Amino acid sequence: MRSSVSYILSHAPGESVMSHPDYAQHAQHHACVLVLVKGIGGVLKNFNKLWERIQRVNNIKVTDSSGQVRDIWVRYVRDYPVENNDWGDFQTHRRLLGLITLSKFTNQIELNEVCRVHESLKVKYSNTLYDSRAFMFGPGSNLKKPQQEPETYNTYDDDKLKERTSLSDKISLPSDQADSLSSTESFPRSISSNASYSVQEDNFTTPSNFKTHALFYGENDAVPDLEQHVADLINSLFWVVESKRLERSREKLEKVSLLLAPFEKRDFVGLDMESRNNKKRCMGRVTKNLADLTLQAGLVAEALSLYHSSAEILKSVNDWLWLAAAKEGHCATSAILQYPNLRNPTPLQRNASLQESSPSKIKPLSLYQPNTDPFRKFKLHSSPLRSSKTSSPVNPPSELTPSSSDSVETSSRQSETDNADTESLASSSDIDYQSQKSYLSPDLPSIPRQPPSHINNQYLLGGEEIAEKYRKAIIHYSKYQNAGIIETEACFKAARIAVEQNNSLHASSFLQNVIFINLTLSEQEKIQRFDTLAELYKEIGFLRKAAFCQRLAATRQVSANNPNPDWQRCYYLMLHSFPGHKLSLDPNYVIQHQVGWPALQIQLLHELVVAARRMGHPALATRHMTFLLQTMWPHLSRQEHRDLAIQLQALSAQCEGGPVPLVLETGEVIPPANLTHVPSCTYFNPRQLAPARTPHLIKCKANQGPFIFTPIHFGSLERKNKKDEGKMEYLWVEDDICEVQMKLTNPLPFELKVSNMRLLTSGVVFESIPETIILPPDSPTTVNLHGTPKEVGELQILGYSTHTLGVKSNCRLKNMPMPHKFPASFLIQVIPSLPTITIETTLSLSGNINISNPEISGNITNISLYNGESTECTITITNTSNVPIEYLELSIQSNMDNQLQSKVFQWSNEDIQSQLPINAGDVATIVMKLYGEADFLDLGGVGENLFPNSLTSNYPSRVGSPIPNAQTSLPTHSSNPQNSLSSGFIMNRTSGSFRSSNSQTTSWSAPISIMPPSRGRQIETQIVIRYSGGAGREMHCRQTTLQMNLELLPSVSITHWDVLPAEIPSQLYLVLDITNLTNEEMDFHYTPSKHILIEGKESRRVPVPLDRCPFTITIPKNEDDSMEPKSISTGTSTNSLELMCSEHLTKNVDLRWHLLQSNITGRASVKGITLSQTMMDIVRMSPLNWEVSVNKQCIKPQEEYNCMAGECLSLGVAVWNHLSRPLHKLCLSVQFYQDYNNGVLNYKLDNRVATAGNNKVVLTTLLEAAKAYHECTVVFLTPGEYKIDIQCSTTEPIIDEIPAIKDVNQTIVQSCAGEVSHVWRFIPPVAISVTD
Amino acid sequence: MAVCVAVIGKDNSPLYIGGIGNDTSTDNELSRQWLVHTALDALEERLATTNSNNATASANAARTDLRDLYLGLLYSTDTHKIYGYVTNTKIKLVLVTSSTSPSGSNIRDAEVRTALRRLHALYADAICNPFHLPGDQIISQKFDRQVKSLMVNNV
Repeated sequence: MRSSVSYILSHAPGESVMSHPDYAQHAQHHACVLVLVKGIGGVLKNFNKLWERIQRVNNIKVTDSSGQVRDIWVRYVRDYPVENNDWGDFQTHRRLLGLITLSKFTNQIELNEVCRVHESLKVKYSNTLYDSRAFMFGPGSNLKKPQQEPETYNTYDDDKLKERTSLSDKISLPSDQADSLSSTESFPRSISSNASYSVQEDNFTTPSNFKTHALFYGENDAVPDLEQHVADLINSLFWVVESKRLERSREKLEKVSLLLAPFEKRDFVGLDMESRNNKKRCMGRVTKNLADLTLQAGLVAEALSLYHSSAEILKSVNDWLWLAAAKEGHCATSAILQYPNLRNPTPLQRNASLQESSPSKIKPLSLYQPNTDPFRKFKLHSSPLRSSKTSSPVNPPSELTPSSSDSVETSSRQSETDNADTESLASSSDIDYQSQKSYLSPDLPSIPRQPPSHINNQYLLGGEEIAEKYRKAIIHYSKYQNAGIIETEACFKAARIAVEQNNSLHASSFLQNVIFINLTLSEQEKIQRFDTLAELYKEIGFLRKAAFCQRLAATRQVSANNPNPDWQRCYYLMLHSFPGHKLSLDPNYVIQHQVGWPALQIQLLHELVVAARRMGHPALATRHMTFLLQTMWPHLSRQEHRDLAIQLQALSAQCEGGPVPLVLETGEVIPPANLTHVPSCTYFNPRQLAPARTPHLIKCKANQGPFIFTPIHFGSLERKNKKDEGKMEYLWVEDDICEVQMKLTNPLPFELKVSNMRLLTSGVVFESIPETIILPPDSPTTVNLHGTPKEVGELQILGYSTHTLGVKSNCRLKNMPMPHKFPASFLIQVIPSLPTITIETTLSLSGNINISNPEISGNITNISLYNGESTECTITITNTSNVPIEYLELSIQSNMDNQLQSKVFQWSNEDIQSQLPINAGDVATIVMKLYGEADFLDLGGVGENLFPNSLTSNYPSRVGSPIPNAQTSLPTHSSNPQNSLSSGFIMNRTSGSFRSSNSQTTSWSAPISIMPPSRGRQIETQIVIRYSGGAGREMHCRQTTLQMNLELLPSVSITHWDVLPAEIPSQLYLVLDITNLTNEEMDFHYTPSKHILIEGKESRRVPVPLDRCPFTITIPKNEDDSMEPKSISTGTSTNSLELMCSEHLTKNVDLRWHLLQSNITGRASVKGITLSQTMMDIVRMSPLNWEVSVNKQCIKPQEEYNCMAGECLSLGVAVWNHLSRPLHKLCLSVQFYQDYNNGVLNYKLDNRVATAGNNKVVLTTLLEAAKAYHECTVVFLTPGEYKIDIQCSTTEPIIDEIPAIKDVNQTIVQSCAGEVSHVWRFIPPVAISVTD
Repeated sequence: MAVCVAVIGKDNSPLYIGGIGNDTSTDNELSRQWLVHTALDALEERLATTNSNNATASANAARTDLRDLYLGLLYSTDTHKIYGYVTNTKIKLVLVTSSTSPSGSNIRDAEVRTALRRLHALYADAICNPFHLPGDQIISQKFDRQVKSLMVNNV
């Protein structure tokens, strides 16, 4: 775009190079009247408010002399360099036409000063200034009222006069500088007369040289007529412009002087001004000037054609600069017409704001109107009078005529303008009303603004044309170095139009051009340039470009060339370039999205930190540094991590970073940045309470179904997973210390101190215990954070907070960096507080030794007991919490079965319950009895070999204990190596031994010393104490486990046993082989009166006299006895009779032992003893009661009967059935034999005995309680010792018997026809000694 | 002469930035990044406008005439000129030439066009690497070497 012939026409920098670019200019400002608004004197506190109110009056409508409504636009500026004023001829909108001062004074001196400043401002802009207003705010509002009345007069007169004076000014202006100066001198003078008496105050008087229309108010006054006065000013300015326009339009084109841009003055020295070319140049320039004025005066359409024609003229004379200006004007005018929105924003805003607050805004107006209306009328009526009066001392026309070029016309023109003025005044008042109306109905002004005819103008440029023309204009401008500022401004204006056109590329190219314009600007202006560029780039969506410009502006702000660096502005510029770098202030957003160019972002953040620090806001510096470290972590190298961390530490030393949002002065909020990378957390998990403190459900929930595990999830899978994420299945307890375990890694190469680590929670109140740790570099460290929930309910663990590198961070799990996926939070149910206990156990062993071992709960108690010994264990429970224990339950888990367990451990539940509740600090004791339950029947090593425990025993703990099996006892007497064969074989082989009870005795010869050393048994027991209390006792309890290791030592064992009939039929002897398995001497009591001493490891045989087992013990009793399963396991000789007998023995045998040395006593039992059939018959009372008589003489047991050989003896046998049922087919037999007492029985007595009568009778039925009697006669033929075996056998089983038994019995009694199933003998056999 | 070449992904993330210069300090590297980064706005705008033009002008026949991949001069600064090129997969190739050096001041558009075409070919070769994940930064040394030689020799 930039012309290659640039600088061709440029000259050395002229004296009046416009050096202050106005970046805020818009194209529509070409049509505006420029008014300076300045606050002078003391600082007015509501200045900004007033400034806004003034700005709203930016468009008023004036009806001109021909009745046409003119739309006048105003641009208010707060500051205007006077140099730019010099370009007023070039582009008239650059002329400052009006001045409004807002001033404050408190006393006369200040008032004088204010007046002086106002006047000096007038002088400063005297070249162009047409009118001014001074709003003065004095102390107190009381002086307003007396002031106002004369003031209104003055206003009117002033207006009138000023217009005249300004008219004169106008006329004089075109001539030259000197003239205009003189005229301006006259201008205040003309007013002076009015102004001098306008200030009539009680105390304050304006200095005599103050010749301005001044308005006085109290400082706190509402200034309701501000808009009105401003509109007055505009109105008066319009008429000046309008008159100048008319004047210009009536000029003879041949006579016009050459208009010059400030730097051109020297160029035309010595040129032929009369040349045709130059004439044309003058014409073109004047036309252009006229076009400017026309545009300002509100005749947009006319301006369009004027611009066009001037451009044509100027093009022909190659006056590039003015051609460019004409083109630009053309473009601006077209743009104004094409895009009314360009102008609208402000008035629309004004209307909108008025509408918003319309009730409040309209009211003062309506209140104000009745006041003003009379004034107005009064003014109107009095105006001629006043004017004549006031103007009389100084005659304006005479003064106005002095040295204008065309004085001929002035007078006439003057009269015209006078007329026009009166008209205008009338119209202006009209306009005022109109404008007031427009306040009330804001739609009104927009209607006359663009008549459709304007748009159809032939010279109107289209969108593309505007851009093209502007481009050309800029190229033309670029040919003049001195017009650099004009060019820059044109670029901005063009860009703004392009923005309006929505053509970003055009806009960007215009903006790009700005860069190339070489201007000697102050740093501040350069910054402004970048700022404006950034603004516009933002508007077209070039955020990156904007950011780039903003950053440039920021760096300029603090560059070395800048004499007064402004770090604050630098900071804000940097901050506002965030969007362009795709950065957000929220670190989480940045981390999640990871867009933008990290290298640039890092650089920017670095600079931002520096800026924040330099501008003296260390908190911000710390925050941004934290942000940098947090968000750019993945893009930084290790070395950078280290450096930044150190820098952060240094920054935070000045101001600590905290997790609170920072609010800037501009209202922007900097959200907190949390360091989650330092230290980085790789694992985070709340932990269950310690086992001893874990709450359990008191009642276990019933299982949902038959399956322990099912892969089928009912309902939607996903939903359930989602819902359960982070939900912990265990419980925490109120007021109990809970723990979260986390694994932290320090990624920095130096030791990192992390202090004040806490848990972040929500939900119930949670008291977190701060933790301080020092992390070594690069090694994961496990850290436990503790805390106490203080309420019942749901606890949500959101994360943790750290304080490291001087920065406090709240690290929330949901914001954790990606590689570690944590749930957003952990949910834990907190239940009401539960008591805690400590447990001590005290053991009192029987005897002297007392072991007291105070132990903490959960520890192990070791106890040794001899089998059969009993002791007491005292469990002391102390309530260590504040919650009373209201529920206590004891249960035992061990490796024993329940029955054994209940025998070993005994306690009283009632006793426990009676001690409840246990209040805080109280102690309860539970006494537990321990008994060394054991099986004392030992069969030596054989049983172990033959029947492994698992097969034969229900006692899981029977390690090394004997197997009480009669069957297995049998092989012991024979050292047969085949005893490990099948049991059936054993039975066959051993069947003989049952033939007689005597045979059993042979086994006694086996040496007892070969018995294996019995080992102790280890019983591991856990005593589970469940307890609860407080509010949560209904649902939950705690559980403490007391480990108790019980060692059961062998004491005595019964290795063999047998039964012998006693001397009395109702009694029997149980013969036991007792082995003392201890090393000490033992005193063994087997009856209450009898005892025996057994040396350690020695064995003794003791007979225990017992009553025989009566029949009356009913069978059902056996059913529930523990013997039952055992007898089944033995498998062969099961019947309830045996159990009954065994039970009988167990009950009646009372064995006690006493270890003399260690003074330990204990018991032993024959529980589980097994009996063979033969033994049982001895043990049991016979079902048949015998009564044997010889020669009618009853035989007593153990009695020997003597008789002579050949003597006839009559043997009578009477049998009673004691059974509860009849016996059938009972075979009663009498047999004689000789006992040689060497184990040989001779039944073959054929020639020694003769019997008469049956020696065998069959009784078909023997009813219960019935008696049968049989008698036979016997004669012993030879002397000798005879015995009579009287027996009764039955062929039908008494109780169901296994065939094996039958076999046995069959072998015993051959004579009975194979059906004998049971034999009862008369014991002892009758012995008869026969003598010669 | 060309001073910098950048490959930018379709999400505007930098895939490769290679530059030749007298100094390889980070400052230089950063300034290159600024240059390329700020060019993205213009590039995107141009893409958007061409696309919309295509769509509106010839809705049905648009598919036949392929848009020119070469976008031309994006913008220029006092010292550099930035040219753009967009592949059909929206991978942006940016070439920065120095306008201060004697050879760079009067560089021809056609030269830049060919250079960018060749760069496109190099890029295509580079991402043919089966171990390269599209969207990742290009770390291939071969690509780097080739691009550098392209900058030195061709532009």
